[in-house]
Amino acid sequence: MGKRAERTDWGLFLRKDWSRNKLLYAMMLPALAYYLVFQYGPMYGAVIAFKDYSPAEGILGSPWAGLSHFKDFFEGFYFERVFTNTVLISVYTLLFEFPAPIVLALLINEVRSRAFRGFVQSVTYMPYFVSLIVICGIVKDFTNSGGIIQQVVASLGGADTALLQNPDYFRPVYVASEIWQRIGWESIIYIAALSSIDTEQYEAARIDGAGRWRQMRSVTLPGLLPTIMIMFILRMGNLLNVGFEKIILLYNSSIYETADVISSYVYRKGLIEFDWSFSAAVGLFNSVINLALLVLANYLSRRVNQNSLW
Amino acid sequence: MQASTRKASSAILLSLMLTSTALTACSSSNNGSGGPSPSASPSSSASAPASESASPSDSPNAGGSVYPIKTDVMLTRWLDSGAFSQQLAVTPKLEDFPFNKELEARTGIKVKYELPAVNQAKEQLNIMFASGEYTDIIEWNFVTGYPGGPEKAMQDGNILKLNDLIDKYAPNLKAYLAAHPEVDKQIKTDSGAYYGFPFIRGDDYLMTYGGPIIRKDWLDDLGLEVPTTMDEWYTMLKAFKEKKGATAPLTFISTPRLFDDLQQGLFYGAFGIKRDFYMDDGKVKFGPAEPGFKEFLTTMRKWYAEGLIDKDIATVDGKIRDANMTSGKSGATYALAGGGIGKWLTAMKEVDPKYDLVGAPYPVLNKGDVPKFGQKDFAAPQGGNFAISPKSKNPELAVQLLDYGYSEEGSFFFNFGKEGEAHTLVDGYPTYTDPVKENLSLNLGLYTRATGGPFVQDKRYYEQFAALPQQQEAVKTWGQTDVDKHQLPPISPTAEESTEFAKIMNEVNTLVDETTIKIILGTDSMDAYDKFLTKLESLNIDRAIEIYQAALDRYNAR
Repeated sequence: MGKRAERTDWGLFLRKDWSRNKLLYAMMLPALAYYLVFQYGPMYGAVIAFKDYSPAEGILGSPWAGLSHFKDFFEGFYFERVFTNTVLISVYTLLFEFPAPIVLALLINEVRSRAFRGFVQSVTYMPYFVSLIVICGIVKDFTNSGGIIQQVVASLGGADTALLQNPDYFRPVYVASEIWQRIGWESIIYIAALSSIDTEQYEAARIDGAGRWRQMRSVTLPGLLPTIMIMFILRMGNLLNVGFEKIILLYNSSIYETADVISSYVYRKGLIEFDWSFSAAVGLFNSVINLALLVLANYLSRRVNQNSLW
Repeated sequence: MQASTRKASSAILLSLMLTSTALTACSSSNNGSGGPSPSASPSSSASAPASESASPSDSPNAGGSVYPIKTDVMLTRWLDSGAFSQQLAVTPKLEDFPFNKELEARTGIKVKYELPAVNQAKEQLNIMFASGEYTDIIEWNFVTGYPGGPEKAMQDGNILKLNDLIDKYAPNLKAYLAAHPEVDKQIKTDSGAYYGFPFIRGDDYLMTYGGPIIRKDWLDDLGLEVPTTMDEWYTMLKAFKEKKGATAPLTFISTPRLFDDLQQGLFYGAFGIKRDFYMDDGKVKFGPAEPGFKEFLTTMRKWYAEGLIDKDIATVDGKIRDANMTSGKSGATYALAGGGIGKWLTAMKEVDPKYDLVGAPYPVLNKGDVPKFGQKDFAAPQGGNFAISPKSKNPELAVQLLDYGYSEEGSFFFNFGKEGEAHTLVDGYPTYTDPVKENLSLNLGLYTRATGGPFVQDKRYYEQFAALPQQQEAVKTWGQTDVDKHQLPPISPTAEESTEFAKIMNEVNTLVDETTIKIILGTDSMDAYDKFLTKLESLNIDRAIEIYQAALDRYNAR
């Protein structure tokens, strides 16, 4: 009912909106241009997924290959394995790494001393700003035999062999390093959201006799939920994008079984073999699945708790 | 009121989110869309019009021989900076290397170098090809580093066929090839096309430079001879572990490929195989598909289980190996005469005067056998790896620049640099000057291009580079193999075959590497070998062998 009324006012609304928010729109322009030039512009290049692309003939001139690159990918000997690994690593990351910054934000929120808060925040941000190569170098050094983690393991009676040589340990190492690297950075957005929760609500809760724990459960978390949901939906849109950089810096052939993911497989096959079309086909496949997941997560979230991207 | 504050805060949030996604989208290079990348810089910086730039005369013979050439053209040159990382740390621009300055003075041709990020040469070459912004000269191994090989690279329009240009403007190379037909064969494709200028090892002595290396002082302490058989190696490694306290008696590099250091056939060779393709009596074979592979795995598995091989063997890189070999953690490895023996002996001279190394022969199964494989380069180890872009506005000038290194004067200059600066003549023998000798591996890169380039390498360079008696001795020991009979020449499958071959081998290599390491580490039992054979079959390894056999036959018919 209300919708119809809105629609008739649409033109008027637009005009009013424009005159009121002109400056904001102007500020949006660079971001818009960025998306048009770097995100939408290259999309037409995705057509090479259906072609046998050769630079000499150009994107339009290269011969059509139909779905043969997709077929190669799905029928590949290792397709099942890399697909499973990708999903598993993503799911584990979602399960363990996604909540970590929320917990950290909640903890920091409870801390009274400003100096200590600042200290904790700086320390946890830091790994995010260190180059990935260095991060992976550190991880490798720590988990090699004789590394600090392995010394602890050995002193507790474990075997002192490189963790990254055992397929069982790759995922834990990956997820743990992921948490270490991102927890501080990702908590920023939650801390920002926390600061916007109305303090009157806390006062009201205290008057009603709520302790700190109860306040966190009944005031803080509900106030944070919209942010969490939106972050979650965005995350779903990246489920199949396990970046190859970190994987190829950490893995070796003894742990392909658990570490080889779609992107690292495509890296070995597509980029190193100069097979642009194949890489494009896999990229396109990834994007389609990611889009589907994003839409699904958004829909579910809207149904369940009215928070959604659109 | 409550609602409005919420709305405002969520608006802020949303904008925050947008920027954050914009940031992440920026950092994670997006999926496979082949959009142009800003990282490749424009290539043709040629300032002068082509008419002015052309060669000094039109007569073919004079084309390459009158240096310096009068021209204002600036050529661009792309190369993997990996080989010069040591020099670039001291002199950050290749243009400023004394050798390159002098080369410019001598040839009259200005060159601007473009270097890819370290360890990303292949990706960036790929980007250069995809973006269409080529440099004039591209240094790359198109035989092993370009899927489909040089023939495909020409067909793709990424490099130029040089037959006519060489004919007209490269008299020096032409003369050399006429005198050395075996080199000529190595740098042509099956169809007889030249695609690049070669780096030529001018003497057999220059083709062997790597092999097994052992701590000589330990051998002497333990009263052991230099081992020649696998059994003797076992005894020795065991003694290193038990009596010398070596925690990783045998170590070797496994990056970027698994067992990278064993690619030349160390240990594999004892069982008559190699990790890759080789030939027996003109028949192509793939090592891991042969029975010898099982024996190799069994032996290595045993060595690993007994703690004779580095525990972290799957992740050892050059840095770790250097540390292992100089700290007493390891006593045996594979390395080069320069980067191994020379480097470690120099480093340990002060620390431990007793420290000594010896080059050991490639081990065999039965005493007295001649090793089947060993490291040995071809005369043109990388084929024609100095190629010219089809987009170049001055290909003939590029050819003239490259041809300089095959003239008598040019070749001498590449090997020994400028007289008085890099070398002096002592009784007619070009001797590197003392300042250069102070840090030979650094200065050879700055003052000469003796270690690799478009020229004919001189034996006298290596005599001085690997001057230590241990190095000289090692090179002699390593050279005594049957590798000539078993090593595949630089063959090239056709473009179509290459695509098929690459598809097969990509998965085969993953399978072989994975099986190898898992059996050796003990993660999988020996039973995994039988499953491996079945899988190998189903990946169609026979077809890959067939493709190589055909390529070999064509090569022999060149």
